[in-house]
Amino acid sequence: MIRTLIVDDEPRARTELANLLKGAGDVEVVGECANAIEAIGAINRLVPAVVFLDIQMPLISGLEMLSMLDPDRMPRIVFLTAYDDYAVQAFEEHAFDYLLKPTDPARLEKTLDRLRRDHAPQSVDVLGGGDLLRQIPCAGVNSIFLMKIGEIEYAASRLGGIYVIGADGQERFTELTLRTLEEKTPLVRCHRQHLVNTEHIKEIRFVDNGLAEIHTVSGQTVPVSRHYLGPLMARLGIS
Amino acid sequence: MVGSLNLTISLLEQTCVYLVIAHLLSRTRLFIPVMHVTIRLPHKVACYLIFSIFCIMGTYFGLRLDDSIANTRAIGAVLGGILGGPSVGFAVGLTGGLHRYSLGGSTDLACAISTVAEGLIGGAVHRYLIRRGKIDLLFQPVRVSAVTFVAEVVQMAIILLVARPLPVAVHVVQNVALPMWIANTLGAGLFMRILVDRRVMVEKQSSVFSAKALKIAARAEGVLRSGFNEENSARVARIIYEETGVGAVAITDREKLLAFIGIGDDHHLPGRPISSGQTLQAIAENQVMYADGNEVAYHCSISPNCRLGAALVIPLRGEGAHVVGTIKLYEPKTRLFSTINRTLGEGIARLLSAQILAGRYEQQMHRIEQQQQLLAQSEIKLLQAQVNPHFLFNALNTLSAVIRTEPELARQLVLNLSTFFRKNLKRPSDEACLADEIEHVNAYLQIELARFTGRLAVDIDVPPDLTHARLPTFSLQPIVENAIKHGTSRLIGDGRVRIAGRCDGSDLLLSVEDNAGLYQRQPGGDGLGMGLVDRRIRSRYGDGYGLDVECDPHVFTRVTLRVPLEELAA
Repeated sequence: MIRTLIVDDEPRARTELANLLKGAGDVEVVGECANAIEAIGAINRLVPAVVFLDIQMPLISGLEMLSMLDPDRMPRIVFLTAYDDYAVQAFEEHAFDYLLKPTDPARLEKTLDRLRRDHAPQSVDVLGGGDLLRQIPCAGVNSIFLMKIGEIEYAASRLGGIYVIGADGQERFTELTLRTLEEKTPLVRCHRQHLVNTEHIKEIRFVDNGLAEIHTVSGQTVPVSRHYLGPLMARLGIS
Repeated sequence: MVGSLNLTISLLEQTCVYLVIAHLLSRTRLFIPVMHVTIRLPHKVACYLIFSIFCIMGTYFGLRLDDSIANTRAIGAVLGGILGGPSVGFAVGLTGGLHRYSLGGSTDLACAISTVAEGLIGGAVHRYLIRRGKIDLLFQPVRVSAVTFVAEVVQMAIILLVARPLPVAVHVVQNVALPMWIANTLGAGLFMRILVDRRVMVEKQSSVFSAKALKIAARAEGVLRSGFNEENSARVARIIYEETGVGAVAITDREKLLAFIGIGDDHHLPGRPISSGQTLQAIAENQVMYADGNEVAYHCSISPNCRLGAALVIPLRGEGAHVVGTIKLYEPKTRLFSTINRTLGEGIARLLSAQILAGRYEQQMHRIEQQQQLLAQSEIKLLQAQVNPHFLFNALNTLSAVIRTEPELARQLVLNLSTFFRKNLKRPSDEACLADEIEHVNAYLQIELARFTGRLAVDIDVPPDLTHARLPTFSLQPIVENAIKHGTSRLIGDGRVRIAGRCDGSDLLLSVEDNAGLYQRQPGGDGLGMGLVDRRIRSRYGDGYGLDVECDPHVFTRVTLRVPLEELAA
């Protein structure tokens, strides 16, 4: 069975695709998401092999979402679009899977055939997936908050998940992994569970056993482990 | 008695010389200040200087008799007082008096005092008449004569009172009283006559000039505005020819003759290229060329038999003083240019230049306006014909999703789609009633509601009595589409769109509000549809109408459409 996630902001469009996929027999729809933020969490949680991804979505488009995925757990992507000359041209050029809406079952069958033979993920860098992120989507109770990279002081992996912390000290939950943040943002790893924004470092204080503590401009403390101290210093140009 | 008569004639002769000098000076600019009642200080000073000179001159032109002088000094003093007021009269009298005193004789002091008195008498009359508001009476030669006569009587009295010994004084008065009364009385009156004549002439000249200029301006008004071409130029040339009475009038552009009226129009034919050296030079150097027919002769470059002998060529200037043509005034060899026509010619050229410039500007504006209107019309047509492909394919996708599971909804969607397309593709007129527009918008919204099930809520609130209001077709739908496409569809949470209609005085207001608050003023780009709607309403109803956008970021965007409230004729 091919574990599949459907991401589309139109409920009926999701239902339609789910119905078509059911007919294939060997596809298991493990979840449906209405926007990119839900989708990032679902991909991290459910680890689908294939994601059917609508390009046009609110706040964060399908293509933008790709940059926010953990490169280690990148699923195979099948793009969905109702009409987008430019994107379709790019998909053709780089041999990506895509489906036009409304979807012709015969065309879907071809796509599924390809997936059955090979569902190794393709690099989405050519579509803009390799770009650095400018902002991090953070989930609130009833809202999505887009935090600008420059406003983040550090990111931390806690029990509940990944949090980014700004100068106000408030911890904001994000679906993005530390690995994604490390690769797609200028944040630097200083500890197994922490990334720091070097722009906000005010002071590095050395403590016992080769450990250190970073004091940020706003007065917060971020731990530095022995393993990451060297590379951090190198990154800061201090040897 | 015979001696007295001889003296009178002699003194009158002297007065004549004196008046000739006054006449000659009256033609110079020196006299401009004294041709009117002088009030301001610089004019009073000028008045004082001029009449002091005449006062002293009166003494010099006088006839020496024993040790006294029969003179016309009183003219200067009295006129100075009458035209300049008591202060000027006093100053002139004092100056003339001191001068007389310096010459000595038995009556020197008496003459000095009496000259001052004469100036003051003139000044008193000035003040009296000014206070009564009878300025015109000051300039009456007869009145001036009378005042001078009185002043001379007073002078004789002063001589009798002041000069000593008394027998000498009596003798002097006996000798000079009659001649001086006659000479001064006549002289002062004539002097004033000269001033008044001069003033009348200057005023007459300038009024003739202004009348001519105004008449030409009135008749030629707007002719060249509708285009600088042969037809209009001929009309203007005829007007100038008739009003100025010159021999001939021509108008050219930079290359050819546009119009020629008057002497020589048998061979100066419109349409011919310019051949006159003066005209070419006037165009090349942007300056007035004048062949007065006297020092510089005008030679017709076309026909040796041409009767024209003098020409004035004045450039017509368009944008940035660039020469666009010339206007030419001609006189035949038998006549010379009058100064009035020369000055008038330059004024006419300025008038015509302004008209040509205004005309070109208006034509340009008109053309741009027309183009913009055409553009707006065709753009609207294009917009109407072009359905957003995203909308179309998403709608079809929704349809394909519900066709099996919800056949009734699918049927509704098909109907909505066909309504939407029908309204989009073809409308019999440029105007529709609000009910029609709402139907169009509703068809669109039903499809969007099916797409965004649960994520979109729509509320339409238009009072039934407004449904017959008129508005340009295709005005409401682009606004609603914008609210969804660039508004609610970008929300992660639920979107709400509210359409409301109401009256505001004699206007219809339609507002479309979304809860996204994502409006951004874009130059061109996605706001194209809304921009077109706005421009079309403005060009149709004026700048008081159109679209108004309010946006509270992340809270709401409200677009309000304002058109005059008109019922669609049934």
